[in-house]
Amino acid sequence: MRQPVLSVRDLVVRFSTGRGVVHAVNGVSLDVEPGGTLGLVGESGSGKSVTSLAIMRLLPRGGRVVSGQVWFGGRDLLRLSAAEMRSVRGREIAMILQDPQSSLNPVLPVGEQIEEAIRAHERVSRPAARARAVELLGAVGIARPEEQLGRFPHQLSGGMRQRVMIAIALALRPTLLIADEPTTALDVTVQAQVLELLRDLTDEVGAAVVLISHDLGIMARMAGRIAVMYAGRVVESAPTEELFARPRHPYTVGLLRSIPRIGGARRALVPIEGSPPDLERLPEGCPFAPRCAWRIEACWTQNPSLATDDGPAHLVACHDPAEPEEVGPGRPIRPGFAPAPPPGIRAGVA
Amino acid sequence: MSATLLSVEALRVHIPVTRGVVLRRTTGVVRAVDGVTLDVREGETLGLVGESGSGKTTLGRAIVGLVPPTAGSIRLRGVEVSTLSGRGARRARSELQMVFQDPFASLDPRWPIARSVEEPLRLHRAGDRRERRERVLELLELVGLSRRMADRYPHELSGGQRQRVGLARALALRPALVVADEAVSALDVSIQAQILNLLQRLQEELGLAYLFIAHDLAVVHQISDRIAVMYLGQIVELSPGVDLYREPMHPYTVSLLSANPVPDPSVEAARERIVLPGDPPSAAAPPPGCRFHTRCWLRERLGDPEICRTLEPLLREVGPGRSVACHFADEAAASPVTRRAVDLAGGRA
Repeated sequence: MRQPVLSVRDLVVRFSTGRGVVHAVNGVSLDVEPGGTLGLVGESGSGKSVTSLAIMRLLPRGGRVVSGQVWFGGRDLLRLSAAEMRSVRGREIAMILQDPQSSLNPVLPVGEQIEEAIRAHERVSRPAARARAVELLGAVGIARPEEQLGRFPHQLSGGMRQRVMIAIALALRPTLLIADEPTTALDVTVQAQVLELLRDLTDEVGAAVVLISHDLGIMARMAGRIAVMYAGRVVESAPTEELFARPRHPYTVGLLRSIPRIGGARRALVPIEGSPPDLERLPEGCPFAPRCAWRIEACWTQNPSLATDDGPAHLVACHDPAEPEEVGPGRPIRPGFAPAPPPGIRAGVA
Repeated sequence: MSATLLSVEALRVHIPVTRGVVLRRTTGVVRAVDGVTLDVREGETLGLVGESGSGKTTLGRAIVGLVPPTAGSIRLRGVEVSTLSGRGARRARSELQMVFQDPFASLDPRWPIARSVEEPLRLHRAGDRRERRERVLELLELVGLSRRMADRYPHELSGGQRQRVGLARALALRPALVVADEAVSALDVSIQAQILNLLQRLQEELGLAYLFIAHDLAVVHQISDRIAVMYLGQIVELSPGVDLYREPMHPYTVSLLSANPVPDPSVEAARERIVLPGDPPSAAAPPPGCRFHTRCWLRERLGDPEICRTLEPLLREVGPGRSVACHFADEAAASPVTRRAVDLAGGRA
């Protein structure tokens, strides 16, 4: 593998709330190849968004990085001064969020917002910045871009706003783009347009992408490599084809069995029983153990670390990974299996 | 084939757009539902797919009586329910219930969940206090919640548990039809699968019918016997679920299938996608002729026939249980574009 453009090492992020401490990210390590697309998959609370905000040093109030490193361009971003970090943001690493409404200024025409983004980092004249804005709006597929420059965000549809965000994000040809659920709020036909655009433009600019999504279909389309997160950890990471063909972590297997598919005979879904752990009270062992049909004694006491399996590119954090013959679709997990808390802990009196 | 439970005929729901507070005036009308005819049979699941603005939610709300129809009829076992008032209306409404995308919004945060589930029973004066409590506990068990949950508050519950409470509440009055509006869309996939399985079990046990509204084609496929596709206030295609995805006949259905991301990387790598231009037009000013013509990929291939721009196609029956509203449905069905979209839509299952 070439020198990664981004390397996250053992990242730990916690949030202090009035009531306690939320263990949001618990030792995440990730690599993103230059020009590659890393997909971060996980359910709500898995820590995928918090990881990306920690990389950008944009954690909301109450959140702090407890330990770890974020290597980017030979520097640990976590050690940069606030001013140095500002110049990295936007210029070298750009970000797109699910809701463009929250990142666009509602009282400023979109043209000015693009120009501002350019002029914040580059010494260019106003007319030159305006010309770039027109060109960018054209590149993201907005018809008659000159006329659109003066429009306000609320005058645009959701798909158009997300196109404007992509224009702003790619204006400075960043080396890395972090896209957090960029199409979740869009209709499926508009989502298809935006994903296509995102892929073409990042290819053209040569930007690497961290794509965060809960949608495995989008991952199959966009990602070269996928990292599956659960309870603030990466539990499995593999090239996309490999992950879908030979999932090894019981959670990944469960996810793949839970999604309904079109086509073929309709089969009963096999849900993952139980619910995700409380991040304020993580169990001592593997956080997935209470819901895992493959669990063994060790799972209650030791949290397995991410290690190679099936070749160097496939990493799994599991004491007893699923065998290929066990992951066939439609097969019941284990007859009579029921989720359970660790032995010795009785469900509260509540 | 089972008997017809609900029949909706030529239903229109037009919502006036107003401007100004003091000098309030109507500046236009959104034709959210604009001439919908469909049946739901006893015990079946009719899936309703469409994008935002297609009118699917408004249709569901009109059926349960949350928005008044502008024209047309809604009949439950032959009895018109949209114009009923008083006791008759109340009885009919108790048979038509709805569950929402965000159950949190439909539960009062100050009430323990038992009280929320009991509410419809109290409104309909069903039983005394003790009987109602017993029924609430029964309902919680029915949806897979323990009786101990009864005195918890909504904020103490997970998203999946709250959706179960929403279901328990909808089932309190033993409805014949439950309108589920994006009921699993906000849930994580592992929880979504639990709720879909629960809906299917309840249907078998209670003989319920569902109108299952969602934007996710795969989710709708998983649960529906028949599927209706809506675009700008109208149904453009209605078929048994298997047929709709194997032999779609409306170009819009084909583009939805083609746009739907498939969790299979080998398919996604091989795939050429129909990318529809632009956003859906506004339902306040639908295009003349066929409403889909401004975005239709087939029209171009057929050399831009004039009829698409001038004449609104009617929903017509094209086979047993199958209807489509397109002047060129046969051409759409036979197009190689359609074949490719279908071959790839399901992945290598």
